[in-house]
Amino acid sequence: MAWYYWLASASLVICISGCIYHFARLIMLGKPRDHSTRSGSPAGGIVYSFTRAMNPAGKESAYLNLPTYAMGVIYHIGTFIAIILFFVFFLSENINEMMTVPFAIFLFLSSLCGIIILMKRIFDKKLRKLSNPDDYISNMLVTGFQAASGIVLLTPSTYPVYMVITSLLLLYLPLGKLKHVIYFFAARYHIGYFYGWRNVWYVTKQKQ
Amino acid sequence: MEKINDIKIKTALEVLNSHDDSKLISHLNSCVHCGLCAKTCLYYLTIGDERFIPARKVELVSSIYRRYFTVMGKVLPALVSARKLDDKMIEEMVDLLYGGCVMCGRCVRHCSIGVDIEYVVRKGREMLAKMGYVPESLQSTVKAALETGNNMGISYEDFVDTIEWMEEELQEECNDPEARIPLNEPGKNVLYTLNPREPKFFPLSISAMAKVFYLAKESWTLSTNMYDVTNYAYFSSHPGEAKAIAQRMYDEMQNMKSGRLVLAECGHGVRSNRWEAPNYIEKGFFFEALTSVELIAEYIRKGRIRPDRERMKDAVTLHDPCNLARGSGIVEEQRYILKNCVSNFVEMTPHGTDNFCCGGGGGQLAMSEYNDRRLKIAELKVRQIRKTGAAIVVTPCHNCIDQLTQINVTYNLNIQIKTLAEIVADSLPVLKE
Amino acid sequence: MPTIEIEEKVFEVDGNGFLTHPEIWDEEVARLIAKYDGINELTDQHWAVINIIRKNYEEKGMAPMIRQICKSAGLKLRQIYELFPLGPARGACRVAGLPKPDGCV
Repeated sequence: MAWYYWLASASLVICISGCIYHFARLIMLGKPRDHSTRSGSPAGGIVYSFTRAMNPAGKESAYLNLPTYAMGVIYHIGTFIAIILFFVFFLSENINEMMTVPFAIFLFLSSLCGIIILMKRIFDKKLRKLSNPDDYISNMLVTGFQAASGIVLLTPSTYPVYMVITSLLLLYLPLGKLKHVIYFFAARYHIGYFYGWRNVWYVTKQKQ
Repeated sequence: MEKINDIKIKTALEVLNSHDDSKLISHLNSCVHCGLCAKTCLYYLTIGDERFIPARKVELVSSIYRRYFTVMGKVLPALVSARKLDDKMIEEMVDLLYGGCVMCGRCVRHCSIGVDIEYVVRKGREMLAKMGYVPESLQSTVKAALETGNNMGISYEDFVDTIEWMEEELQEECNDPEARIPLNEPGKNVLYTLNPREPKFFPLSISAMAKVFYLAKESWTLSTNMYDVTNYAYFSSHPGEAKAIAQRMYDEMQNMKSGRLVLAECGHGVRSNRWEAPNYIEKGFFFEALTSVELIAEYIRKGRIRPDRERMKDAVTLHDPCNLARGSGIVEEQRYILKNCVSNFVEMTPHGTDNFCCGGGGGQLAMSEYNDRRLKIAELKVRQIRKTGAAIVVTPCHNCIDQLTQINVTYNLNIQIKTLAEIVADSLPVLKE
Repeated sequence: MPTIEIEEKVFEVDGNGFLTHPEIWDEEVARLIAKYDGINELTDQHWAVINIIRKNYEEKGMAPMIRQICKSAGLKLRQIYELFPLGPARGACRVAGLPKPDGCV
C-alpha cells in the first residue's frame, strides 16, 4: 500500500475516534431533564426542528441573507459529496466515468462558494470581528478538500496531494469548529426538545 | 468594579463544568460564527454596533469554555480564540450579557444552527451573578424580594389597605356590595398572583381581574404572604436566589391548598414560575400553573364570561411578550380573547413567535445603567406600533406595559396602553339594577 | 455618572434620570424635572402629589403606595395618571426627587 494510504487511514481512525469521543460525551450526559409540566410534545418539537424550522422561508437568518444562505447550502452539499467520494476512492479507487465530470463541476462550484464565504469573512467587518483563526483554517481545509476532490476526478495523478489534504482535514475536524458536524445535530435536537416541550414548535397543535 | 480573584474564577467555571444533561455542551460547541443572527437582534438593528450580534454574546461564554475545558483552548488558545476569565472579560460580559441583551430569544428562533443563544447568555449571567457582578439596580430589586417577600418592599398593611380599596372599586363597578377580593382563603380553586407594581402604583388591573373572576363565579383568593409573581433572580440568573423565591411560591400553594396557580400578566413571571421554578427547586408541581391569559380564554370558551365586542370600537393592537410567545407557546389565546372583546383588532408585523421585544425585557427595565440603550432599541417597536395605526396597545405583561408607557412619551406615540384584563373587564357588561 | 441639563442647571442622575443625590432636591429642581418631562406648569394638584411622595420618602425611605397618594391628595386614580403621563413612578416619584423604585418600573 502506498504511503498516502497509510496516512489517510491513520487520519481517518483518529478523526472517527475524535468524533466518537464527542458523540459518546453527548450520549453520556444524556437527554434533557425538565421538572416542569410540559404543554406540548418534545418529539414533535424535534421533528419540527429538523424539518419545518429548516425551511428558509420561515427563518430570518436565511431569507434576509438568501445569497449567503444558498452558498452555504451548496458548500455543505459539496462537502458531503466529497466525503462520499473519499470513501469510494478509499474502497475501490474506481468511479464510474460517466459521473466524474458532473461531480467535478459541482465540486468546483461548491468550492467557489467556499471561497466567496471565506472572502466575506475576511472583508465584512462584522464577520471579521466575529472570526478566529479556526474559522479561516476550517474553511480553507474544507474548500481545499472539495477542490482537490474535483481535481483528482479529472486528473488522477494528483491522488497523493488529494490524500494529504484529506488527511489534514480529517485530523483537524474533531478539534476545531468543524466538530459542528456532530454538535449541529445535538443543538437542533435540544432546541427542538425545548420548544416542543413548551408547545412553541409543534407538528400538530397539542392543546387549544 | 471589584477585581477578579481565584475563588471567583473557580465559582464561575463551576457553572460551565456542571451538567444536568447534554444541553450546555451542545450549545457551547455548535456556533459556527456565520453571523446570520445579526439582523434578528434589536440591539444590532437599532444601534448598529457589531458587538451586539448575538453570536458575539455566545462567543464570550464559549471562549471561556474553550480556554478551560477543551484541548485546543488549553494548548493553542489564540487559534480558537479561547479567552481567560479576567477583569477585562468580566467588564465585556457585564456590558453585553446584562446590558446588551433583552433575552427575547428571537435570535434563537432564527439561528441557522439551532443554538439556544438566550440560554448561553443566561449561563453567562449565572457566572457573573455567582461572582457578584450583577448590576446594582437589578440586584436591588432581587434583594427587596428576598428580604420583604415582594420586589417593591410593600408592607402587609399597605397591601391589605390597597386590596380593600380595589374591593370597593369592584363593588361599585359590579353594583354588588357582596363582590369581594378574597384574601388568604385556603382551599380555593385558584390562587391568583400579582406583579407588585399593581398594588404599589397601577392597581386598576387588580380590580379588572377581580371583575373577571366575579363574573365567572370563580373560587379564588390572593395570599398576603406570597402574591409576587416576579422572580428577578431569573434575570440576574443567580440560581440560589432564584430557587429561594421559587420555593416560596411552591410553599404558599401548599399552605393555601389550591389546585391552580394563576400567574398574572407578567412575561418573565410566567416563565420563571411555570417553566424554571420546578427546575430551580428540582421537583415537579403538584398543582397546575397557568397564565391568566389562558384562564380568561377558558372562561370565554366555556361561556363563563360573555364579553361584548361592540363596546370597544377603537383600533386595538397586541404586543406579544417574548416570554409568553417564544418562551411559553402562548400565542393564540390572547388573540382569541381580543377577537371576542374588541371589534377592531389589528396585528403588528411581525407578531407571535417572531415579534420584537419592547426593549424592556431581560431585566433592562430595572437596570438604570443601560437606560439609553433601552430607549434606543425601542425604535423597532415604535415603528411597528405606528404602522398599525392603533389607538390602544394591549399587552399581557406589566414589564412591557411600563416600557411602552415610557416610549409612548419619549416617541410621542399618542396611544393608550392596557393590560389584557383591563380590556376584558371593559368589555364585560354588568347588569345594573 | 450621567447628568441631565435643564435650563443650564446640571444634575447627577442615574441612567433612568432619577436624582443620584435626593437631598439636593428642592422646588426648583421639581419644576425643572417636570419641564424635562413636558409638564410646563406644576399645578396645586401636582404639588399635592409631590409633597406626599416627598414626605413619605423622608419618613420611610421609599415611595408611598398609590393608595396613600390618592387618599391624602384627595384625587382619583385617573387624575394621577393625567397629571403625570409617565405614571406615579417614572413620572411623579422622579419629579419628587426620589431614587428609582425597585421592580418593574
